[in-house]
Amino acid sequence: MTALEDLAERSEAGFPNLTRARDTTRDGIAALSSRLDGLTVDADAAVVLFGSWGRGEVTEQSDYDWAVLVDGPTREAVEPAPESVEAALSIGDRGPGTEGIFGADVFCDHLVERIGLDADDNTNLSRRMLLLLESVGIVHPEVRDSCRDRVLRGYLDESVDDFRPPRFFLNDLIRYWRTICVDYVGKERRGGDDRKWAIRDLKLRTSRKILFAGGLLPILLCGRFRAAAMEGFLRESLDRPSLDRVAFAFLELSAVDAGVRAVGAYDRFLGLISDPAVREELAGVTRATAKESPVFAEGRRLGREIEAGLQALLFETRIEPLVREYGIF
Amino acid sequence: MNSVLLVDPPMALQHHPIGASTGYMEELRGNWDALVEEACAVSSFVVELAALSEPELGPLADYLAGMPSLPFRYLSVHAPSKHRSMTEAEFVAVLAALPAFVDAIVVHPDQIEDPLAYRPLGARLVLENMDDRKGYGRHGSELEALFAMLPEAGFCFDIAHAWSVDPEMEVGEELLDRFAPRLRHVHLSSVNERSGHEPLRADHEALFEPLLARCRDVPWLLEAPPRYL
Repeated sequence: MTALEDLAERSEAGFPNLTRARDTTRDGIAALSSRLDGLTVDADAAVVLFGSWGRGEVTEQSDYDWAVLVDGPTREAVEPAPESVEAALSIGDRGPGTEGIFGADVFCDHLVERIGLDADDNTNLSRRMLLLLESVGIVHPEVRDSCRDRVLRGYLDESVDDFRPPRFFLNDLIRYWRTICVDYVGKERRGGDDRKWAIRDLKLRTSRKILFAGGLLPILLCGRFRAAAMEGFLRESLDRPSLDRVAFAFLELSAVDAGVRAVGAYDRFLGLISDPAVREELAGVTRATAKESPVFAEGRRLGREIEAGLQALLFETRIEPLVREYGIF
Repeated sequence: MNSVLLVDPPMALQHHPIGASTGYMEELRGNWDALVEEACAVSSFVVELAALSEPELGPLADYLAGMPSLPFRYLSVHAPSKHRSMTEAEFVAVLAALPAFVDAIVVHPDQIEDPLAYRPLGARLVLENMDDRKGYGRHGSELEALFAMLPEAGFCFDIAHAWSVDPEMEVGEELLDRFAPRLRHVHLSSVNERSGHEPLRADHEALFEPLLARCRDVPWLLEAPPRYL
């Protein structure tokens, strides 16, 4: 039984929206794999999906953020070409956005060798973190796993101490979370499609927060191990979706009631935003009208329940000394 | 010489987030600006604006409709349980019309005649367990029947009410066993022999601690002045 299933058994009615989304994800991955079946793919390349596909939370509203991940340095010709993937997937306007993070070739050597300094721009940081935290290989999944493990080992060098969280990894993760938060405001100030403001705000309060916590908690829990055991623990943790890592921490740290409530709130949020009518209503909500929108208010309330559960986990359990020692400075 | 400033607040009052229910601020009743200011002295994170008597509900609704600038991250409204004269439909309509930024609307189960009439309140409806004077809503089995008809409703755990029903706290534990997944906030105080709320006593703090430990992630709202202020 997974940690998520364990918490579901302790809830009143399980987590029906999550269960549905997990089924949809599994069926969707199978369908996409067969669509990509005839594609020529280099032996060191993988077609990888990110976002809700990596979280196991696909709904009918989900986008398809994909990339061709190459386990090696930059090179000119990679099979498959992005346009071939796009055509084979036939996902219309549900493909990657215009920011250039996805829908392109991604070279693992960049992700591993450019951690920090100017060359590690937002795109590289986002790709690296999302590969670690919420990705799934559709074609050549073993290549995706190999790249993920190379990135992970890039953080776990000789500077890691026994019984201490790996601070390099921790700092990069926290940097990524704060980048998401700052960029949220940056996008708003830049203007553009106001119809996405409400859903972007609610995702920051919910799925983005679970993504961050799903990295933060395993890193902090490394404080229970000798350095040599950390890679195995992190690899095993990162093999599971973010929410499962969070559920595991709630159980491990004896915060079961809070865990049931937080995951229950996340389940209800997933149900809320899966509803096309809700999406349409949220498209009309702006920062100025947010206080008057019952749908936005419900999403925000669920976001606060999730955050409150995570705060109780971090500050009211035996992990608190690690949060205090490593979470701020 | 002893100084109150040297006395640590009770451990329970160091919980975050903790805030005030304005119900105990009798001298300010009706002055919502002043009640909010007083509540902010306890916490600017969470609050319960209490319209304990029905004539207070209209002015509170008007105050909130004016979209005042409030700092709270969790705002609960306690619906009236005294001096009721509206029909149930009118009562629910006023509560349902409270602005969207009101997170929770606490209703006493013994005030409910037709549970289905409260469905328009959706997930904002929060049902509170009752004290030993009340004929309904004290035990899990009674609340279970209500929650079955109001599946979106949340639970407000009034720990002092649970103590008044069973000082051994088994009733309180059973309430949490049944309704922990629905828990939205805690009402925290002690109660006297007339079931009046009074500041949390040290012996109650120790007695309540195991159950409060199961509620670490939700707001705790004080229904009596904190002892350390």
